[in-house]
Amino acid sequence: MIRNPLKAIAIRTLCAVAMSGAVCAAHAQETMKIGVIASLSGGGTAWGLGLERGVQIAIDQLNAAGGLKLAGKTYKLDLIAYDDQYNAAQAKTAADRLVNRDQVSVIFGPVGSPGALGSLPVTEPAKVLQFVDGYAPQILRNQWKGAYVFRVNNSTQEFSGPIVAWLHKYAPNAKKIGMIAPNDATGQSGVPILTNAYKKNGFDVWTDSYERGTKEFTPLLLRMMAQNVDVFDLNANAPGEAGLLVKQARQVGYKGIIIQSGGAGIDELIQIAGPLADGMLKYDVIDETLPRVKPFVAAYHAKYSGVMNGLAPVYYNAANILFEAMRRADSTDTTKIRDQLEKMTGYDAPIFGKVVWTGEQDYGVSHQLLHTFVIKEVTNGKASVKAVITP
Amino acid sequence: MFSPAVLGQVFVDGIGLSAIYILIALGFTLLFGIMRVVNFAHGAFAMLGGYALYYLYGNLGLPYLVAAPAAALIVATVALVLERIVYRFFYQRMFQSMIGLLGLDMAIMYTAVIAWNAEERSVPPSTDALLHLGDLVFPAQKLIIAGIAAVALLLFYLFTHYSRYGLAMRAAAQDVDIAEAQGVNSTALYRLAFFIAIFMAALAGGFYAQTYALSPFVGEPQLMIAFIVVILGGMGSIPGVALGGLLLGFANSFLGTFYGSATSIFVSFGAVILLLIFRPWGLLGAKEA
Amino acid sequence: MIKSSTLESAPPPAFATQPASPATVVRPARRWLAHPVTVAVVLVLLVALPLVAHDKFVLSVAVTTFITAIAAASLHLIVRTGHVSLGHAAFMGIGAYVSAIATTDFGLAFPVAVCLAFLAPAALALIVGPILLRLTGKYFVLVTLLFGEIVRTVFVNWTDVTGGSNGISGVPAPSAYFSNPVPFYYLALGFAVVIIGIIGRLLASEVGRMIDSLREGEALARCSGVPVLSTKVVIFMLGCGIVGIAGALQAHFVHYIDPTSFALEQSLNLVVINVIGGMYTLIGPIVGTLFVVLLPEFLRGYVELQHVVFGIVLILVMAFFSGGIADAGVLFKRLGLGRGGQQ
Repeated sequence: MIRNPLKAIAIRTLCAVAMSGAVCAAHAQETMKIGVIASLSGGGTAWGLGLERGVQIAIDQLNAAGGLKLAGKTYKLDLIAYDDQYNAAQAKTAADRLVNRDQVSVIFGPVGSPGALGSLPVTEPAKVLQFVDGYAPQILRNQWKGAYVFRVNNSTQEFSGPIVAWLHKYAPNAKKIGMIAPNDATGQSGVPILTNAYKKNGFDVWTDSYERGTKEFTPLLLRMMAQNVDVFDLNANAPGEAGLLVKQARQVGYKGIIIQSGGAGIDELIQIAGPLADGMLKYDVIDETLPRVKPFVAAYHAKYSGVMNGLAPVYYNAANILFEAMRRADSTDTTKIRDQLEKMTGYDAPIFGKVVWTGEQDYGVSHQLLHTFVIKEVTNGKASVKAVITP
Repeated sequence: MFSPAVLGQVFVDGIGLSAIYILIALGFTLLFGIMRVVNFAHGAFAMLGGYALYYLYGNLGLPYLVAAPAAALIVATVALVLERIVYRFFYQRMFQSMIGLLGLDMAIMYTAVIAWNAEERSVPPSTDALLHLGDLVFPAQKLIIAGIAAVALLLFYLFTHYSRYGLAMRAAAQDVDIAEAQGVNSTALYRLAFFIAIFMAALAGGFYAQTYALSPFVGEPQLMIAFIVVILGGMGSIPGVALGGLLLGFANSFLGTFYGSATSIFVSFGAVILLLIFRPWGLLGAKEA
Repeated sequence: MIKSSTLESAPPPAFATQPASPATVVRPARRWLAHPVTVAVVLVLLVALPLVAHDKFVLSVAVTTFITAIAAASLHLIVRTGHVSLGHAAFMGIGAYVSAIATTDFGLAFPVAVCLAFLAPAALALIVGPILLRLTGKYFVLVTLLFGEIVRTVFVNWTDVTGGSNGISGVPAPSAYFSNPVPFYYLALGFAVVIIGIIGRLLASEVGRMIDSLREGEALARCSGVPVLSTKVVIFMLGCGIVGIAGALQAHFVHYIDPTSFALEQSLNLVVINVIGGMYTLIGPIVGTLFVVLLPEFLRGYVELQHVVFGIVLILVMAFFSGGIADAGVLFKRLGLGRGGQQ
């Protein structure tokens, strides 16, 4: 065995690693940096990429159209993205970097609640505009009164009532709901809200939770079936787990209704559950067949491969709302932009249509985007819109 | 709730779970028993096996009976390169192997992310059929997996107890110096053991991908499972793997169905901790002097 | 029953390369790194940093580094007794939660909260230590891994107390004065210096030699009258208590804690820091922290590549110089000597 050459390689590798440094790209004049914090590694990567790509497409389109003209200057937008690994402390570091070093005034993300909650203590005092999707109420209801943060998709609070009401009409004989959810932040905040909504509509509710990362649900599903539930609600489950839950529920003999009230995007779920997904119902944020949505879907698939994550259209929509608000404020001052954002009710955003801000009652500040959503049904492996609900 | 129908279903599910657990843990225990290597990268190879099956079966559409072993063969062959450049520095160095192979696990996992992106995919099962026995429902795919697990266990046992190479492996496992003195070529033997172990891991990974999901991160839960099964049964013991796998599979099925998943986790982990404290060599392992 | 030295495999094995036994001779690299002048220079630089760097982000990274260094040094104490814990982040989490709950729910002052953050994990260590520390090397690693997971599951499921997965937000700064970055920087620096100093003194003293003897030859140490288990338990308690303080600092720095910050990944991180930096000297975790915190800064934008590089470095370190970077000097020396004798 020749050891020394290998050791030499080892030393040189380490030296190379130690000496490699980041090369800062030189930026052109009049560039405006837009910050993105997203989970770009680890289990939440699909969402993080969805977020980043949605914003990137919006930026690309804006730059192609000549950039953003504010107060006499034209800005080319540049996206800077940092990974928070779906972790609060990392989100704080990323926010620190974006706010203090890169000096951005706008941040999209983080994905989910822990990151958002970790970054707010940095962004709010610095008056940096932030657009998030996490469901936790404390994102808007907090010590800063959610002054500069906006939630850009429906959270459980907003869609649970309308979905439950619709379900009541669709399946008038259903009496008992079973919910299985992960015990992560989304699950723990979403399930109580949904439970309340169901109970108010006269349903009986049974719930149970599992550790994030579990893939074998048959024991839990058996447990649920022993409760004789009529409707199995997948609520806050991520597409991967939701797909498995559907597949395994059918494999274990569950014959009732399956619905997912929550979560964006349905393609990944269908891919995993295969033919067993037929007949299920799902909440989704966009209808890809609509003429207003098609250009975005086409643009996404032209630039990126793979399944489009549900967050991409959400953040594309949000980015466009922001750009319009900036134009109306005709300034880079975040307080002015924020004021314009709050006044944008009725603006026709590319994906979700007319902007409606809500939340005064639930959070103390109307920074929650309320948008139309759809219920899709899966037939023969394809999802089609069954109902359109405007809360 | 404890009706015969539910208990029957719990039993049948337990078998399904145990089968996959056993397959995953077999290679792990082989590597430990023979080379004293704690293969923290075992899950990564299972994951690679899943991707190999995805391409051979899901994309190219080769017939399943060709694709499954071929996928495992490909991964095991490629892994031989890693054996030369990484593993051989860790043979008989248990502690160093833990951390070093942890590094290998990270490297493989994130290279997979770069190559294939992080999105979760699935590999179609070889059959979608559902078997019905009275009230019990059981996917046929799980039966196939259970069958293969049983065959693999049997083959393993026969190999290590009745073939020349198997005997040589057991000799090397007991004392590698004396075995070498008797003329056993430990380098070649280690390579053979490594190949078999990774082949099993990749095969298990393919099944895992069909049953559950495929992403660069699915190796981690498989590694945890392998650990627990092998600790329960005893590191280096093949009957131990069978016992550990069955125990864990049935425990998870039973506890999860009747008491929920938090209880299932607490009890499994608690039991393993107690075992480690009072009988660390596992139920069927050899007491280390 | 002879218990072998817990970090190395017992009989001289066929493929062993460097049985990593730290010699009693202090190696040259270690000597000049720990020299009082070097330490003084580094301290002066750290104290002067806020005056030189106008960038708040640098201070933020520095604070994170200090907190991580404290945690890594506390694990180092335990590693020096020959036990590698893969559940250390769980104890850090206990300290964080105790401190957060003490200040938010009970309105206690920061100093009191920090003391509680030390006592709580130490108490738990006292309870489980005598049982767990009887286990040798690889079994201890596995048990602590599982124990850490159990603690994390408690964090997630005990929603009434810990807020479950949604954690505790609105954790206040230590006081109005320390809510500004520069004062907090000095606070964190102060904690780091004092704690690492104490650990250093401890390891250099008679107690330190006792600890090293435990690791290198437990049977012999016992015969020489060293109270093996009690020493290990006390050190374990100390290590877990100190990392609890680090957890409290983190809680009051990020102002939000949740179970995902104190999971297996973070425990692994601390172990990686100790291993890469060097397990047999206090310089190790310091160097390791710098490496692990700074490398991602260089490779930002290439997150996956970062992890791949970490993985490769881990392999290289464990395969060729298990004394870690702090012992790289030995490696250079060996290369210089040519091929002779290290097989």
